Amino acid sequence: MKVSMNLLKRYAPIPVSPAEYQSRMIMTGTGVEGIEDLSEQLQHVVVGRVLTCEPHQNSDHLHVCTVDVGNGDPLQIVCGAPNVAAGQLVAVALTGAKLPGGVTIKKGKMRGVESCGMLCSGPEMGVPTELYPSVGDAGILVFREDYPLGTDVREIFGLNDHVIDFEILANRPDTLCVWGVARETAAAMGTQLSLPAISVREDPDADIHDFAKVEVLDADLCPRYAARVIRNVRIGESPAWLRQALYAAGMRSINNIVDITNFVMLETGHPMHAFDLDKVAGAHIIVRRAREGEILTTLDGKQHTLKGGELLICDEHGPTGLAGVMGGEESEITEGTHTVLFEAASFDRTSIRLTARSLGFRTEASGHFERGVSPQTVLDGLNRACQLVNELDAGDVASGLIDIYPSPVVHQPVTASVSRINRLSGVELSGERMVEILRKLCFQADVNGDTLTATAPDFRQDVEGEADLCEEVLRYAGYELIPSTPLRGVADGKRSASMHQNDYLRTMLSGMGYYETITFSFLAHKKLEMLGLPADDDRMNALAIRNPLGEDSAYMRTTLLCGVMTTAQINQAHGNEQARIYELGKVFDNVHRTAENLPGEYQHLCMCAYGGEEDFYSFRASVETLFSRLGVEYVIVPEAQPWLHPGRAAALCAGDKTIAVLGEIHPDVAEAYELSGRVYIAEIHLPDLFALSQPMGYVKGLARFPAVSRDLALVVAETQPVGPMMSAMREAGGKLLEDISMFDIFRGPQVGLGRKSVAFSLRLRAEDHTLTDDEIVRVMNKVLRTVSEKFGAEIRA
Amino acid sequence: MSIRDELNRLDEEMADELKSLDTLNALETLRVHMLGKKGQLTSLLRMMGQLSAEERPQIGQLINERRERFMKMLDERQAALQAKEREFRLQRERLDVTEPRRLPEVGCVHPNTLVLNEVVDCFTGLGFEVVEGPEVELDHFNFELLNIPKNHPARDAQDTFYIDDNVVLRTHTSPVQARTMTTRKPPIRIICPGRVYRADEVDATHSPVFHQIEGLVIDEGVSMGDLKATLDAFARRLYGADIHVRFRPSFFPFTEPSAEADLTCVSCRGQGCRICKNTGWIEVLGCGMVNPKVLEMCGIDPQRYSGFAFGIGLERITMLRYGIKDMRLMYEGDLRFLRQFRQDVKEG
Repeated sequence: MKVSMNLLKRYAPIPVSPAEYQSRMIMTGTGVEGIEDLSEQLQHVVVGRVLTCEPHQNSDHLHVCTVDVGNGDPLQIVCGAPNVAAGQLVAVALTGAKLPGGVTIKKGKMRGVESCGMLCSGPEMGVPTELYPSVGDAGILVFREDYPLGTDVREIFGLNDHVIDFEILANRPDTLCVWGVARETAAAMGTQLSLPAISVREDPDADIHDFAKVEVLDADLCPRYAARVIRNVRIGESPAWLRQALYAAGMRSINNIVDITNFVMLETGHPMHAFDLDKVAGAHIIVRRAREGEILTTLDGKQHTLKGGELLICDEHGPTGLAGVMGGEESEITEGTHTVLFEAASFDRTSIRLTARSLGFRTEASGHFERGVSPQTVLDGLNRACQLVNELDAGDVASGLIDIYPSPVVHQPVTASVSRINRLSGVELSGERMVEILRKLCFQADVNGDTLTATAPDFRQDVEGEADLCEEVLRYAGYELIPSTPLRGVADGKRSASMHQNDYLRTMLSGMGYYETITFSFLAHKKLEMLGLPADDDRMNALAIRNPLGEDSAYMRTTLLCGVMTTAQINQAHGNEQARIYELGKVFDNVHRTAENLPGEYQHLCMCAYGGEEDFYSFRASVETLFSRLGVEYVIVPEAQPWLHPGRAAALCAGDKTIAVLGEIHPDVAEAYELSGRVYIAEIHLPDLFALSQPMGYVKGLARFPAVSRDLALVVAETQPVGPMMSAMREAGGKLLEDISMFDIFRGPQVGLGRKSVAFSLRLRAEDHTLTDDEIVRVMNKVLRTVSEKFGAEIRA
Repeated sequence: MSIRDELNRLDEEMADELKSLDTLNALETLRVHMLGKKGQLTSLLRMMGQLSAEERPQIGQLINERRERFMKMLDERQAALQAKEREFRLQRERLDVTEPRRLPEVGCVHPNTLVLNEVVDCFTGLGFEVVEGPEVELDHFNFELLNIPKNHPARDAQDTFYIDDNVVLRTHTSPVQARTMTTRKPPIRIICPGRVYRADEVDATHSPVFHQIEGLVIDEGVSMGDLKATLDAFARRLYGADIHVRFRPSFFPFTEPSAEADLTCVSCRGQGCRICKNTGWIEVLGCGMVNPKVLEMCGIDPQRYSGFAFGIGLERITMLRYGIKDMRLMYEGDLRFLRQFRQDVKEG
């Protein structure tokens, strides 16, 4: 909210610099975004009289003028404006003057004639017509009023001012007006608040009830509706002070009656509406909910078809305005308006908000009502408007007022404990000090021993209990008084189990050269489809967001694959030739729901690598490392997934559970994701992985008896997978087979077409004795028998 | 030739041969030639039979002396040769130690995680327990219990992603606090880190997905001073001992009194700069005393207990910590960005 500092100072003195003011307000809870000095943009421009005006000898459009700026030493100024003439009162930019846009005026020669300054147009001074109606766009500005020569034009234009940009907190709609911030200002500055005493001079010969009637049919949405009537309205231009005040607040001056309603909203925070009463059918205002399909044309000329339920202001013919949002075209104030009805009301904030939102527009008025306008102070707005009508002589106020207020709101006193307030804040304040502060904030307050009793002023809607009083007292005593008192008592600080688990994963992944990435939890359905999943896959049934930002983020992810593949693509596009990346985050299972009927949320890990020496086996090894270091027993089985190369896809399984699926991305999918080269990807379901992790238990003693090594080259059919073969050998070897590893695969004519020779190295050892030859032979024979029976393996000759 | 002459000749031969040989192989040949089973000294021993009984022990002694001397000579020479050979090998194996190689790549966690770890270490050290909760959340926990009733402006669709009328993407991690308050009895001392959602378009400082760390303490006699001390500790831990916390009145529905906590500008250390708009302070987090209405709704007696809550934007403090200017970098996953991060090991 922008407010003129000059206007504010009329109600509360500000005896400090703007910067100091800003900081004092911020520290007492009224946000100030910034303070703009309007006077800086226009300097050394004064009122002058054109004494003589002769054509320039070397030009067909320039004039050479002498101008009196009140210092007895007329200036010679060359002027190019077509409307310049002797006798005019004009704005003179002296040598060294500053104009908006960083222009500085210098002494100079124009076509050989010396010019000591410049006669200014309105736009050159940045003076808008709203503020000063005599400013025209054509030629120089000519004052219509009389001003002493040499007067700084900023005084005339109202530019000796600062505009303060207040940031109003959601719970303080009462400060969304000049009087509101004036109250906070006076309290913060310790100065005297002087709001005008409101009194209305009424026309005793005219009674409002003879001219207008108001009915409120839906009082639940309109707790209070008040009206007054102005007769013999004299529509005209507003005085300069009023135009300037509106301008500073970012509003346009229209005419005196409309300006009054806007100014009252600015001053008191009460949105007002002015009806041309002669255009209100039956001079009868009816406040009711809209019926479905009713049509209304608002002041801005737009036609609205209503859904039903919106609060309307109607006359006997039908809707004339959207309550609290915008008036109707029909009863708009015009040059020809004779009788005006002023409306001041309190409308239900939710109703106004929903109406404004559903019709897609907000106005100053609806903004006020949405934040909450106190029904208790409605008459202040209404009467202030009539007082200004009196002051501006804009019409005659009929006597009496209509005030429909079926359930008056009265603030109840809040009782609080001084010591509890102090315990909560940690600041030690006396009851008397609290009362002093609260009274400064217009509360009625008293203290009796430890009991503090306070009643909030009518304009405050946010004070409900002790905690609120604590804040009021504390923000004026000063938040800086709050001491720093470390927490008492001992508590068991710890990370959550899942955080621990994820930390360990991250440590391992970093060690293996993987970088953590984060992508949004959203999903474009298109990207899911690009994976080639069948329509009945659970992952295709993603949770939809009702109001997404766009199609690309309309669902909650059911897999991390899409995000990580996209990240890989970004890296390739940015020229990163090799990458090992991962994301650790939640996926959302729309199919299996929780007891609260929320989607299942599971931590997944998605790893992705490409470039450099990376191949299927090195990638799989990285994934296996995580399993092995977590103590998870697993088997590797071939896997078929549409996004993976059919011959280069594997799953790591434990029991009947598939915990990880990994492989090379299918060329079709890679193409769809604009990935090039071989890219490897794995997705791991972490809850299962961690559930299968075995506790490490006690360490084993180091072996005391010697080991025996035996190498074994076995020839099998090419189609025979090595993994299961090795598992079978391990099993057959039993306790004495300490370790087995594969060290070579050989293919060639020596072993025959369609066959391969796989070389294993076996290490045998007994825990408690040195192995005998007999034992070794027995183990080796058993291993050989097993692979020969199950896999048709033969010892390589 | 007499044995004595022969011995003298062997002395000479030994000295000459030792002098001229320069390989371990030649040395071995000489050893065999002299001391082997068929070697020269051994053959002399066989000739002992021809000697008289008086001469025999004298000559025997001479031969044995020779054997020992020769062995010693050979061993010494062997050691010298071995040393020379090793010296030679070491020379041969000399590397250009400055020749560049590719480093084994060690990865790094996301900058958010780096900072989160510091924050979590700080708070667990102060006795806070980490608690987590669902990201797709019931309206009841995300809003209702936090004193944000239906139709409150804060629930507008422009701020909140809705699944349906009763389910939202959590807009803060406060619902975890609400869940904790309804299921546990005080004392409560928790922090809730996690992902949150707001219907903001992506730009340099906004994102529809970001992370928060919220804290909650509930106990008897908890004051705003306790909150101040807790945040002081956090600020010092993350940004250094010269960083202070300033409270400024504010408003949040779930706290009363409420405050914005400003930190001494971490860029200029309070001197005033562009980042802090010359105020010396930067806005970092919102906090306050838990609104008694919230305590009551969650089944905690506000007459007996009080508490404080605070909410930190993880991306905000991460960006401040590392001078990251554009939030989008955090979600793009470009390795040129990620490779710059590493764990800081120096204190503050």
